[in-house]
Amino acid sequence: MLLSTILFLPLIFALIVLIWPQDKTIRHVAFGLSIVEFIISLIVLKDFDASSAQLQMIEKHMWIERFGIQYFLGVDGISLWLVLLTTFLTPIIILASWNSIDTKIKGFHAAMFVLQTAMLGTFLAIDAIFFYVFWELSLIPMYFIVGIWGGARRIYATIKFFIFTMIGSVLMLVAIIYLMYLTQQASGHMSASLLEFYKVKIPFVGGSILNLQSLLFFAFSLAFAIKVPVWPVHTWLPDAHVEAPTPGSVILAGVMLKMGTYCFLRWVIPLFPDAAEYWAWLFLSLGVIGIIYGALVAMIQPDIKKLVAYSSVSHMGYIIVGMFVFNHFGITGSLYQMLNHGVSTGALFLLIGMIYERTHSREISKYGGLAGVLPIFTIFFFIITLSSIAVPMTNGFIGEFLILLGLHKAQPVYVYFAVTGVVLGAAYMLWMFKRVFFGEKGELVKDEKHPLKDLSVREIAVLVPLVVLVFWMGLFPNHFLDLTKSSVNHLVTNKNKYYLEIKE
Amino acid sequence: MKIDIGLADLIRISPMIAIFLASLIPLTSKLFNSNKEPSNLITLIQGLGGLIIGLVLLTVVGGSGETAFNKALIFDSLTLWMGIIAIVSAGAALIMMYENFSTNGNQFSELVFLALNSVVGMLILVSALDLLTVFIGLELMSLSLYLMIGMSHEEKLSKEAAFKYFVLGSFASAIFLYGTSFIYGTTGSTNLVTFMQEAVGLVQTNRLFLFGISFVILGFCFKVSIAPFHAWTPDVYQGAPTPHTAFMATAVKVVSFAALLRVIATKALVGSDGLFVVLQWLAVITMLVGNLGAIVQVNLKRMLAYSSIAHSGYILVGVITAGISDKGFFGASSVIFYLFSYCVMTIGTFAIVSILEKSEDHLVTLDSLKGLASKKPLHAFCFSLFLISLAGLPPALGFFGKFYLFNAAVGEGLIWLAVWGVINSVISVYYYLKPMVLMYMTEGEAEIAGHSLNATTVTVLASAVFIAILGVLSGPIFTAVEKSFIN
Repeated sequence: MLLSTILFLPLIFALIVLIWPQDKTIRHVAFGLSIVEFIISLIVLKDFDASSAQLQMIEKHMWIERFGIQYFLGVDGISLWLVLLTTFLTPIIILASWNSIDTKIKGFHAAMFVLQTAMLGTFLAIDAIFFYVFWELSLIPMYFIVGIWGGARRIYATIKFFIFTMIGSVLMLVAIIYLMYLTQQASGHMSASLLEFYKVKIPFVGGSILNLQSLLFFAFSLAFAIKVPVWPVHTWLPDAHVEAPTPGSVILAGVMLKMGTYCFLRWVIPLFPDAAEYWAWLFLSLGVIGIIYGALVAMIQPDIKKLVAYSSVSHMGYIIVGMFVFNHFGITGSLYQMLNHGVSTGALFLLIGMIYERTHSREISKYGGLAGVLPIFTIFFFIITLSSIAVPMTNGFIGEFLILLGLHKAQPVYVYFAVTGVVLGAAYMLWMFKRVFFGEKGELVKDEKHPLKDLSVREIAVLVPLVVLVFWMGLFPNHFLDLTKSSVNHLVTNKNKYYLEIKE
Repeated sequence: MKIDIGLADLIRISPMIAIFLASLIPLTSKLFNSNKEPSNLITLIQGLGGLIIGLVLLTVVGGSGETAFNKALIFDSLTLWMGIIAIVSAGAALIMMYENFSTNGNQFSELVFLALNSVVGMLILVSALDLLTVFIGLELMSLSLYLMIGMSHEEKLSKEAAFKYFVLGSFASAIFLYGTSFIYGTTGSTNLVTFMQEAVGLVQTNRLFLFGISFVILGFCFKVSIAPFHAWTPDVYQGAPTPHTAFMATAVKVVSFAALLRVIATKALVGSDGLFVVLQWLAVITMLVGNLGAIVQVNLKRMLAYSSIAHSGYILVGVITAGISDKGFFGASSVIFYLFSYCVMTIGTFAIVSILEKSEDHLVTLDSLKGLASKKPLHAFCFSLFLISLAGLPPALGFFGKFYLFNAAVGEGLIWLAVWGVINSVISVYYYLKPMVLMYMTEGEAEIAGHSLNATTVTVLASAVFIAILGVLSGPIFTAVEKSFIN
């Protein structure tokens, strides 16, 4: 019952928020409820058996018997940390939205909780149709969050986000239905369970795109690649990020992008190992292009938020590259980088939101000399910047190092291009840092009539958990990686005949 | 030929008899009351009562698989399910008629009479096994409808719509009859049962039979607005009073598809590759025309008309699947389930439009939705739910409808139709999102009609609850539909 509780509790919370009579206390209620959710999710961490690569804490009931569609939840080393990342970020986001969301507060918190259910469902569902329901459901609350509370071009951005993501996922639906018929051929009864899908041998012929496994591979990959987003289908991301309200950007960068990368590990690589191996060059190239392209475009952005958005494209490129080298280092690094990116980019968006609340501008050129005015803010921003550019002792270093190590072992050619991303990353982040925090005081900073206030206690409380994580994950990676090790080992060694067993 | 009509036959058509008798009550009471219009509420209750009795009788006597009147009518699962959907949709439309400006008032008893007779025609249509009986059902249904549209209190558009619908509907009937005559000429019978077995062979060997069956199918394509025979749909849907539009978009479409399904079930598609290919392309073209046409509309009803054309395309995919399937009744069941989900969301959507109409001449444009969410949060929420469901997003009912439909198509190897279907779902998202953008994300002074439309609001809420809940619980319903065919 534990996973069901975690999964559907936010939905109940959404209802509570909607019918809560007092407008003033909604934020407090929502924050309290999200903390409850986080604490319950910690039980999963406590009960998780790190030595096992099996699917744990499963819950399995028949849902639509005619097609063998099940209500099937389970967690293993690959999804564990993403579940916790989701429950961890939600209270932070709610706390951070305290001042920035000032209209339709009820609706916002309800949408946030529905979104939380959708994201958790994507990570926990082990049945294809059950998974697909959550995957698509996540679009609707996000659509409203960007569209209602977003910036000036919010409607364009949110429709673009919705349609881009949907284009990918509908083809995946057809592929899922096709796979269901394959299970029927293979075992006599139709099933949508991922474990049954793993057992199906899908014919593969190299050298051509028109073979069954490659077609299914691309139908799934397109859905996930758009979500990640992989260059060149990334264009919805900068728009959505820039127009989204701060909480929306944080949840988008922090968790929603990981839905794409997680699904590569959960669905694409184990289901279509031959095709994944054959087309790895494509995804490695796209990943590397994304790394460099994202970094170069980030460098010239006049808008801080857009800069961070493009840095996301770059960072997600690393994750894609790490997965498609299929070795232990790469995949561990990718998993770790998913968490890092969630923490550090999430924190960057929070910080940008905080300064935006004060000045209502994100133009880099209007800032300058902020360090002298807002020292606490500067310290936090600097720590997160270091994490983002992967300085040793911060979390980013571990992830990027493991990915590059894995890439070097498998495909050394790509490393020479990928490492330029590290340098470029440091360049655009530090350059931006210099322009915003040092030098002459910019027009917004020296405005005598509206002196800027440093961070409040609430804002510090928002940032401290993230900074703690930055160093914790940077200094003691094994606290986190020990729990994923057996699952990743299992995936790497049994990639071509992947199976998952159920832990009773 | 000896014709004898037994009591069993009369029992089997008791739903039709009951609804017909009920339709006379408001008219007669008006007559006895020195031609004074009785209270609309009483008329509504009489009409709904007739429908409910008909519904109960249908569930009792329908679905046995037996025929009546020398095999002119059949009462099998298709009759049962489609009949239920049609009667319930008609009931919801009646409720909307009671409160809509262009339909309530001093001719309401005549309107209810016509609506119930239209329902009788529908029940004949869903149970008809003989092409001539199909024609009778079709005409009874349509003639009542032409009059209903023409009776609108709105002065211009509705008259044009009624006339357009009448001319094009007659045209379609003529094509249908023309096809029937060819079928009679080649097989010596107009009864589907008699040539059911040979149809596969006949379409291959006998060109005249193929011609006949194609014309019969084309006649239906007019009725269910398959492109390129859809041109009347936007004008008629826009011009007709909104409750009638809901009536046409749901009940009329359901029963027309039911009859088409019976014709297709002769397996003519298996025999003729040409017909099979043409119908597939018609499905694709219909989806594209409907969805692309809807994108550019500014009038809400016109947009929904195009969206209903697109949905006809999706349903045609299911009909084709059912027509070539030899693996039981999966295809037919998926069509029934889709029609059911389509009816629930369409009734809800048009009920919202009906609520938004402030007078009989009021044209609801997309802009009049601006800011509805802050004025009427419940209506806006329900409307969003309908749109999400129409777009086929989970976990709404519409997603499961599409899932079963495309699942059946993939199962029969029609993957390319399923792919076209889902691509069209993406296109449709663009215009289904537009009203949501206007309601939630723009400021405005959206208003709903001055007086309180309680019954219509109840219809909206009931549809919303169905959509939210039945999707997740759709498995048992679908299995029940499919099982009823096998028994």
